Amino acid sequence: MFATGLPQIGEAYFTAASMMIGITSGIQIFCWLATMWTGRLRLTTATHFVFGFIFIFVAGGLTGLMLASIPLDLQSHDTYFVVAHLHYVLIGGALFPLFGGFHFWFPKFTGRMIDERLGKISFWLLFVGFNTTFFPMHLLGLHGMTRRIYTYSPELGWGNANLTATIGAFTIAIGGIVFIANVLRSRRSGPIAGADPWDAATLEWAAASPPRPYNFALLPTVTSGAPMWTPPEDRGVVTGMRPDRREVLVTTLTEAQPTQRMVLPGPTPWPFLAAFGFTIGLYGSVFAFSWHYIAAALGMIGLIGWFWPRRPLEIEP
Amino acid sequence: MTPVRTLDVTGLPMYEISSRAPLWWGQLLLCVIEGSVFSILIAMYFYLRLSVDVWPPTRVQLLHTGLPTLALIPLLLSAGGSYIASEAAKKNSRVGMLVGLGSNLGLALVFLSFRFVEWRTFNFTWASDIHGTLVWSILFLHTFDVAADLIMTLVLVVIVAIGRYGPKQRIGVHVDSVVWYFLVLIWLPLYVVLYWGPRLVGGA
Ligand code: HEM
Ligand code: HEM
Repeated sequence: MFATGLPQIGEAYFTAASMMIGITSGIQIFCWLATMWTGRLRLTTATHFVFGFIFIFVAGGLTGLMLASIPLDLQSHDTYFVVAHLHYVLIGGALFPLFGGFHFWFPKFTGRMIDERLGKISFWLLFVGFNTTFFPMHLLGLHGMTRRIYTYSPELGWGNANLTATIGAFTIAIGGIVFIANVLRSRRSGPIAGADPWDAATLEWAAASPPRPYNFALLPTVTSGAPMWTPPEDRGVVTGMRPDRREVLVTTLTEAQPTQRMVLPGPTPWPFLAAFGFTIGLYGSVFAFSWHYIAAALGMIGLIGWFWPRRPLEIEP
Repeated sequence: MTPVRTLDVTGLPMYEISSRAPLWWGQLLLCVIEGSVFSILIAMYFYLRLSVDVWPPTRVQLLHTGLPTLALIPLLLSAGGSYIASEAAKKNSRVGMLVGLGSNLGLALVFLSFRFVEWRTFNFTWASDIHGTLVWSILFLHTFDVAADLIMTLVLVVIVAIGRYGPKQRIGVHVDSVVWYFLVLIWLPLYVVLYWGPRLVGGA
């Protein structure tokens, strides 16, 4: 961004805007840390991945702040310093939480526990492999190794660090294989999980593992942010919803008091016609403007067909 | 988990013809999306204005202000029709809905015919230059929205006239007015930009 030759006012703006990301990300990190601080931690595989995520993401955020300052960025733009930064934030911020969530909810969506020992082995392989791969890239970038070049002459002396990164990348691959093997094995022969193997707080753990397509036969009522930890005498269910049509409860926004029992439309092919019309219309409009009219006509017919009143017109309570 | 408390919702209403209907909020958010697109178009208009000395470019006529200004009268009045229709929908008054929807539709058609007459006076197309592209983009998008809403209004007139409607369709009448208010209101800044913009920031 800063190396594109923006006017100075633009650069100042983008520096400020980038630094602001640091503030919001920082607040998030402190919230997560506070949540863990006030809880009782169990060092499961999922927790390992959460710690890995915070460690890696914070490191990536710190290099992001460095990149947000114009003088530093003008030197390090288009080098492996940026490649290191983006992998720390993308893999740390997206992939590690994904792995953590996968291990946490695996019992919910398969009905079986995932093996913790193999899980931790895969975590350490991924974590060590990740840092072995991407940490040297910071140094390579600061030494001037540019991005998007497939090879460099040996005299530049970047061979060792790149070899280290390659070793790290293979370690990541092994970690990935261990993870996949663990998933396949646990899915087949892991111990049966039951509805709530973690003694967790939130409502999905009240449903069976794996959940029925309708989730709950009777909607549970919720009186706190940790519904599974409220005393059983405070828990309740909603009655009086009709099971023979698609009813949903409409509630007030803050208090969640039910106000309406809304009936949603049943299955119908009409929206498909609308979607089909828009799809071919938009592809066609690449070639000729007149396809816009075809899209509009088919879309409109689909919407009117969907809207057209069906009997009975009065909704029975 | 042994539930001891039950919350019985049997007595709750199935619908409410007001801003409590989820559909009403859906329409409002649709207006927010469409309003963002129009805002982006206005920003584009002034941003691209900065890159040339004379606006509109030479040999392009200034847009006439007479007809579009006159057209504001039926447009603003048509919002009154929407209001009558949505109040009638709440009271389930068939005559009220027909009068409201009908006058909304009729006045909007007057507005649209003014617009089509005006278009024939333009001496540029959407491919002429950047000014032409912007004017036509804004006019096309707004006209497209208006036409789509009028077709929906026509459908509502038909189902109310033949008596094939229940509470769900009356919610439709009610939220139809939300879209129409939006299309009338958003036209006011667009009108100022398109017709008075070149006179105020035209340069030359
Ligand atoms: C503290 C917060 C952050 C700051 C201040 C920051 C700042 C920057 C800057 C200035 C660059 C441009 C470097 C250059 O090319 O010269 C950059 C690149 C990049 N950042 Fe961040 N960043 C932050 C967090 C994040 C996060 C959370 C993500 C995504 C999860 C992210 C993803 C990326 C990516 C993908 C690139 C490289 C894009 C490319 O050129 O291929 N950053 N960052
Ligand atoms: C074993 C895992 C990975 C390795 C070894 C790896 C390696 C690399 C390397 C060496 C580059 C720089 C290419 C160049 O500049 O010539 C790169 C670019 C990039 N990587 Fe990765 N990467 C991995 C995983 C990921 C993941 C999981 C993501 C996204 C979540 C990601 C996103 C990117 C992006 C956005 C770029 C910039 C692309 C570009 O320069 O055009 N990478 N990666």
